[in-house]
Amino acid sequence: MSKASFTVAVLVSVGRNPVSGAGRACPGDAIAMALGRKIAGDALRVVHAGVPYDAALNDYLAQGAGTVEAVACASPDDIVPVLATALENVDLILTGSRTENGNGSGLVPYALAAALDRPVIANVLDAGVDGNDVRITQFLPKGQRRLIAGHLPAILSVHPRAPFHLTYADARRQSGRIVPVTVAPAAANTIGSTAPDWILSPQTRRPIPLKAEVKMTAHERLKFAIAQEAKGGLVVIEGSCVDKAQVMLAYLRENQLIDF
Amino acid sequence: MSDIRRLDPRRPYRLNAGGIRRIVLGDVATVDSGAPTFQQAQQDKQKPLRVRTATDRWLMAVAHANRGKLDAHARQAIAAAAILAAPSEGVVAVVLGELTEDAASTGVDCVVVLPDFDAATYQPERVLAAVRDQIEKYDAKHVFIPDRIGSDGDLGRRLIVALRAPSATGVVELNAKSVSIAWSRGSETAVAALPRIVMLEAGAVDANLPFAGAAERVEAVSRPGADDNNAAFRDLGIKSTGGRQIPLEEADFVVAAGNGVSNIATFQALASALGATVGASRVAVDDGRFARDQQVGASGKTVQATAYIAIGISGAVQHLQGIKECRHVIAINRDASAPIVKRADVTIIGDAEEVMQAVLAEVKATVDLRNKTGSA
Repeated sequence: MSKASFTVAVLVSVGRNPVSGAGRACPGDAIAMALGRKIAGDALRVVHAGVPYDAALNDYLAQGAGTVEAVACASPDDIVPVLATALENVDLILTGSRTENGNGSGLVPYALAAALDRPVIANVLDAGVDGNDVRITQFLPKGQRRLIAGHLPAILSVHPRAPFHLTYADARRQSGRIVPVTVAPAAANTIGSTAPDWILSPQTRRPIPLKAEVKMTAHERLKFAIAQEAKGGLVVIEGSCVDKAQVMLAYLRENQLIDF
Repeated sequence: MSDIRRLDPRRPYRLNAGGIRRIVLGDVATVDSGAPTFQQAQQDKQKPLRVRTATDRWLMAVAHANRGKLDAHARQAIAAAAILAAPSEGVVAVVLGELTEDAASTGVDCVVVLPDFDAATYQPERVLAAVRDQIEKYDAKHVFIPDRIGSDGDLGRRLIVALRAPSATGVVELNAKSVSIAWSRGSETAVAALPRIVMLEAGAVDANLPFAGAAERVEAVSRPGADDNNAAFRDLGIKSTGGRQIPLEEADFVVAAGNGVSNIATFQALASALGATVGASRVAVDDGRFARDQQVGASGKTVQATAYIAIGISGAVQHLQGIKECRHVIAINRDASAPIVKRADVTIIGDAEEVMQAVLAEVKATVDLRNKTGSA
């Protein structure tokens, strides 16, 4: 294996337990790390941008990261410039799809790709690197998968349903290390410029869908309230079984649901 | 006997166009059977066009079409633009991929169709360039994009980074001034002013509009794909996992059996002939004919298939709950008064086994014919 000929890094974030709110390894990032370990083995760099030490990062150690590089980063706006410097020479960068803490916009891989001028591919289920070539299986909805081929360098954001199983070992948690790293942020390539100023408040109610304002007379409102919705489609009662089968297949064809 | 003149409350009347009953004095005509009922009158009534003065600014919605149609999520994005547009603002929709249906009901004034940029082909840079051209051409004040996995979610994020415009993703609630998103996966709500690019979660907008749009169609000429060969990554094609391997929740085509299916072999043959995932109603699962994880409904799985064929399923409320999000429902049932008939787009009344055999024979005949002409 030519594992030494290219470098692979994975970005990990501090997740959030949806019930207790406690910090944990973000499951999506852990799956990206598993894919990275499949590609690069122990040579995989595990990089976190944020506070120099967070206890939740120990979960990544337990799941197989030998060392976590914690890149110091003062504000969320600095994440991309800081990472752009830290990962400048890395050929393949893997990320999760969305963080569990904060905005969770899923923009980091795209902004990082713009900052480093590299292609970005989202919803990666599996990837293999051979020399300089990358082959990717991409997740598409409705059970479809797309195969994509390209070459290094690249940034891949991994879909949370990528088929990797992670084991947790306390021995690895004890033996692993979290190394603080300080780098100077790159030039003005920030995603902070695209994020508006969010004002946070506790979630107290369900969101209300945006509705068009309807001006109706009282009589129209009454009629709408008591009117039966026209329900049901075409009902085929008469005819032989063959006719009925043809009606059904014609409907499927008409809506492009079958291709024969 | 009182000499007060009494009016017979059931005396002959006429319905006017609004469905209002009108008693015409001296008129002895009975109810005119040709007069429209209220429901017909409602259906026939054309929705008024959106109130619009001379357009100086545009709101834009960008979405991929699915099989030539706009799905619910895409319609919501266009409806958001149509609802928030002031009378002096136009609504333009950029539809990527072929569009065969009329988009007037989405309230859009102008539809730009880019048929070359189907979601089936992986060409993110070209799509991004084409959409950027349209945004610049219309100088869109706000751009609404459905935030969904795959096509639109990816395009929207590329746009945000490329335009460096203020943006919000995963918007769950919006109005003319602000947007809110779920912060930290819904533990808090974050509110901000309405940004230029808004990526909407499903259900953030009610797409039922009291007005229609002019829906003028603009066929955009796509730029030649010169930059295609320079793209770092190329598409090697889509592979569809076989029907049986797709999890039920993710499947696009589901064939489900209920109590009316006695011959499982025919049913399985039909499912594999159509390339569909197999589902079942609760009765069929309880009988042991299908596995528990194949159950569709309230106590089983919720499916989001484009096509759902219910065979021998009467359609209990719990089952209909599981197929709420299916777009095309076809039912094969012996009972024409079963609840599924109200839900289905096409209902075939007849014996499940006979109809399944007939469909199988038809499918086989068509496939054989195609293979013959293909090999000849």
